[in-house]
Amino acid sequence: MSSSTREEVLRHIETVGYMQPALHKQTHAPSPDQIDHSLWRAYTRTSHDVGGEPDVPIVWTEKEEEVWELNTFATCECLAWRGVWTAEERRRKQNVDVGQTQYLGLPYYGRWLLTAARILVDKQFCTLTELVNKIDEVKKRAKSDQGLGEYLPAKTK
Amino acid sequence: MSNKPVYDRTHHAKMATGIGDPQCFRGKAGPAKFKEGDRVRIKDLPDLFYTRTMTYTRGATGTVVKLVYESPAAEDEAFGNEDHPEWFYSIVFAQKELWPEYSDSFGNDTLETEIPERYLESA
Repeated sequence: MSSSTREEVLRHIETVGYMQPALHKQTHAPSPDQIDHSLWRAYTRTSHDVGGEPDVPIVWTEKEEEVWELNTFATCECLAWRGVWTAEERRRKQNVDVGQTQYLGLPYYGRWLLTAARILVDKQFCTLTELVNKIDEVKKRAKSDQGLGEYLPAKTK
Repeated sequence: MSNKPVYDRTHHAKMATGIGDPQCFRGKAGPAKFKEGDRVRIKDLPDLFYTRTMTYTRGATGTVVKLVYESPAAEDEAFGNEDHPEWFYSIVFAQKELWPEYSDSFGNDTLETEIPERYLESA
């Protein structure tokens, strides 16, 4: 039993390597008989489980957090303190529910911020209509050079 | 007047305030099924919607190093279900067991990770 599981798992890890976001390809709707068990498992897997996936090396660079990133982190922690979500719910939404294209394609704190907005809509703390209207209002304010409100610089470490 | 259902969104915060998480689940998982030194194999449960048990550990055999804490498994906690805490175990694997192509020159290398009880069977 174990060795067939190992074979499936290792084949699966190889299959998901083909499943990088394919911006160079037009999306196509496969017929059911084109999706076998291996492809089904690769498509429906949790996108954060990247251990062992074949990939090219990435360049590691050290970089200070930006103010909006620190503010995003603080916002998400406040949402936890107020009981809106647990860390595990947050991780599910920002690492898995976003899907592979967004998981690999958006900056780390971009996914945090997107998810903070998403949890408020999903748990009905605000409606999507209210959120969209707010974004629209802020965009217009930014465009009219009135500024976006008080700017709080990060404390020096 | 809205007739939407009202949930207690703060039930987890209330449980953990002043105690911490996973400390707030201490004593709630019942007796542990495994002990230090037990050989265990990781079950290949369906990895649908959410899991933190890495695919590359599935079907592999390791050794229990330590019982680390009691907590709801990620599959439950990620959807706000905290009613069934279970034991988490720190499991050590030989790298060679996880990665068939791992070099024999580093045959003593190991990997240690935490896995909830539902994924373990005696090996």
